[in-house]
Amino acid sequence: MTITIPPVVRLTDIGCTFGSVSAIKSVSLEIQRGEVVGLVGENGAGKSTIIKILAGIIPPSKGRIEINGIICSFRGPKDAFKAGIGVVHQEQSLFTNLTVAENIDQHRSGADWMSRIGLQRWSRVNRDATAALQKVGVKLDPKTYVRELSFIDRQMVEIARAVCIDPAVGGTPLVVLDEPTAILEPEETAVLEREIRNLKQFASVIFISHRLDEVLRICDRVIVMRSGEFILDKPSKDVTREELFSAMAGRHSQESQKGHARSPKADVAAIEVRELTRRGQYRNVSFAALPGQIVALVGSNGSGSDSVMRAMFGAEPHDGGEIKVDGRRVAGWSIPRAVKAGLAYVPAERKIEGMIGGFSAAHNVAMVHPGEAAIGPIRLPHLRRKVAQSWFNRLDVHPNNVVQPLVYFSGGNQQKVVLAKWLNSKHMKVFLLDHPLRGLDAGASETVNAQIRQACDSGAAVVLIPDTIEEALDLADKIIVLRDGEVSARYDMTIDSNLSVQDVLEKMV
Amino acid sequence: MDKRKLLHGDWQGATSWVVILALVIIVFSFINPRFASIENLRNVLVQASVPLMLVVGATLVILMGSIDLSVQGIMGAAGMVWILMSPNARGGIDYGAWAWVVATGIGLILGLLSGVIHTLFRVPSFVVTLGTWNVGVGLATILYGDSLLPSLTSEALSQWPTRLTLGLPNSFWLASIVVLAGILLIGFTQLGRGILAIGNNEPLAVVNGVPVIPIKIAAFGIAGLLSGFAGILATMQLGSGAPGVGAGQLFTVIPAAVIAGTALSGGEGGMVRSALGVFLLILLNNGLVLAGVDPNYQSGVFGAILVIAIVAVDWPQRDRLRVAK
Repeated sequence: MTITIPPVVRLTDIGCTFGSVSAIKSVSLEIQRGEVVGLVGENGAGKSTIIKILAGIIPPSKGRIEINGIICSFRGPKDAFKAGIGVVHQEQSLFTNLTVAENIDQHRSGADWMSRIGLQRWSRVNRDATAALQKVGVKLDPKTYVRELSFIDRQMVEIARAVCIDPAVGGTPLVVLDEPTAILEPEETAVLEREIRNLKQFASVIFISHRLDEVLRICDRVIVMRSGEFILDKPSKDVTREELFSAMAGRHSQESQKGHARSPKADVAAIEVRELTRRGQYRNVSFAALPGQIVALVGSNGSGSDSVMRAMFGAEPHDGGEIKVDGRRVAGWSIPRAVKAGLAYVPAERKIEGMIGGFSAAHNVAMVHPGEAAIGPIRLPHLRRKVAQSWFNRLDVHPNNVVQPLVYFSGGNQQKVVLAKWLNSKHMKVFLLDHPLRGLDAGASETVNAQIRQACDSGAAVVLIPDTIEEALDLADKIIVLRDGEVSARYDMTIDSNLSVQDVLEKMV
Repeated sequence: MDKRKLLHGDWQGATSWVVILALVIIVFSFINPRFASIENLRNVLVQASVPLMLVVGATLVILMGSIDLSVQGIMGAAGMVWILMSPNARGGIDYGAWAWVVATGIGLILGLLSGVIHTLFRVPSFVVTLGTWNVGVGLATILYGDSLLPSLTSEALSQWPTRLTLGLPNSFWLASIVVLAGILLIGFTQLGRGILAIGNNEPLAVVNGVPVIPIKIAAFGIAGLLSGFAGILATMQLGSGAPGVGAGQLFTVIPAAVIAGTALSGGEGGMVRSALGVFLLILLNNGLVLAGVDPNYQSGVFGAILVIAIVAVDWPQRDRLRVAK
């Protein structure tokens, strides 16, 4: 008879209700040592609730959590960490003004006399952090300040923190990665994938992502959540992308209308930049977008693509070169003038720059282009609600309540409202989108992409900074690749129609 | 962690500060050669001691993203309590060291009170400390009453702040010890690191199990205690008790911290920088007096210079989309 090792995690009949709403109905789950489990589902399916329960942030209303065979009830994040659960949250959760070592040490508390009287024992903090960094195989000085690190390095610090399990507990740690790739650039995602394979040797992993290809590639097993339940649980090799999609959404994917059959509506560029330069950011960037054309700006973090786009919208200054709108050179460019000229901009930092969270969804929709909500200078609340309602119906926004503050909507629905704000303009000429699908589930992504295509079909020029290269290949008519602030390649999709991800990636790095 | 690396963030740009301070000294010395004299520089050190002690507390609070306006009120209350328990013109018993304990204790209690109200009742620190300020002034006014002016009768005490030890005035030594303690508190205690974490991202600190509420209350308590301590020193320097002993200090201390690059939103800044900020403002103030600026204009000129200095310091960070509130 062999001794059975208990699973790293065993959830039995876990449920969670907020008031009368049950976020999780009843789920059970077992994860074995060294297993990488993918958890997918649309926004609001209950993924983050499961994570919060595992992380000790919220207690479950019912059910049992066993970690390495021990029944746990967490009173706070520290308890979860002590049990061996490390979570890398969706939003980066590091203190940028503290050192790498301090951040890794955040959940621990030393038992020596110095710590007990409230002194910071740097030698221990640094020693433990060095060990954690070694464990994940990252070469970083634990004494650097996090603010000086790149995105991917910060992500590595978060992973090091997650695996820095308390030695007193032992057992196999569980590392939960909540959409770690949402804000990473393609080549950084590759680094992360390697890291996850490394983690398998001593930990179990729950991996959450909206990118189904990625989940199938990385995970041993995939679980699909919908409305607070697990509705599919299969080994990755036995399941297809389409199967996952229809399980998540409860409908079939319509993302087949890949079309480069679009033809530009005019030959004068709606927006053009020539030799655009900003010292230390980008140099001599030139490209044009014709009405009815989608141009993708592809580049890794720090390639300058986001700054170029912000300069086009008048949100950042540039040192040299020129911006032309409708063939005319603009001088003294600023956001108000750009908006007046028919430009629209969806920023990457949705929560900070894209929306006013405390305002109702209706207010946000009618904020820039009130359209029918305004009679002269007067804005009428009931008209505003009507305008917003029509967008809610068209974009399928949930919950269907236009007066609810925008901050209470999920990310995907917030993004739909941000889009509606610009689409409410009758004469949009140029649509600038910086990572419009960031953090969106497959369903919301489809809606957003459909709106981008539609804006384009009705004559707007679209400039897009995509999350993935696949997205650029799917949508764009032209692809401009930026590397270290300079254009390193240009592709015209009508000519280079068999362009591959690898081709583009090579020009990026 | 070796000390140099640890303080790196705090010492950033310290050399440019030395250059700025040297420039100020050179310019004013040309206008009035007496400015760079040993006596005057000692005088500057004496003037700087009270704001130096205050800026340590203010920096702790500002690093958390809060603000403490109660400085002047607490100084008044603590100063009055101290003088009435020390040898003064009104008579009464000399309680010696107990006068110090009770006076700083009043500061500590008022500070803790601000902290408790701010955290437990979730009232903005701006409003709470505005209240504590007035409570302090009220306490001091009641103690002052309308009887004889409580002037300090002990020469040993009234001369102590300006007396020299190893060539530097005593009050400056006292302030230096407080600043040093502040540096160590930020760099080498869990309280200090917690304060930085709260200032950087408070919701994150909560989720990470940082004891946010106790840390905040402690920081306000320390700030109150230091305000009380500074109130005693200021009263000693003045030679008599007065509810308004701290007048104008708030307008030195907070701009000093801001000029030195302590972000009012929290998380960025440090003791060394704040202390250098105090020196800059005190030198400017002293220089204007010696430069013979009409006393009627001094306040206006000082204010204008302050505004220019803040704009100059913030210049590299200006960004069209940066929100300033």
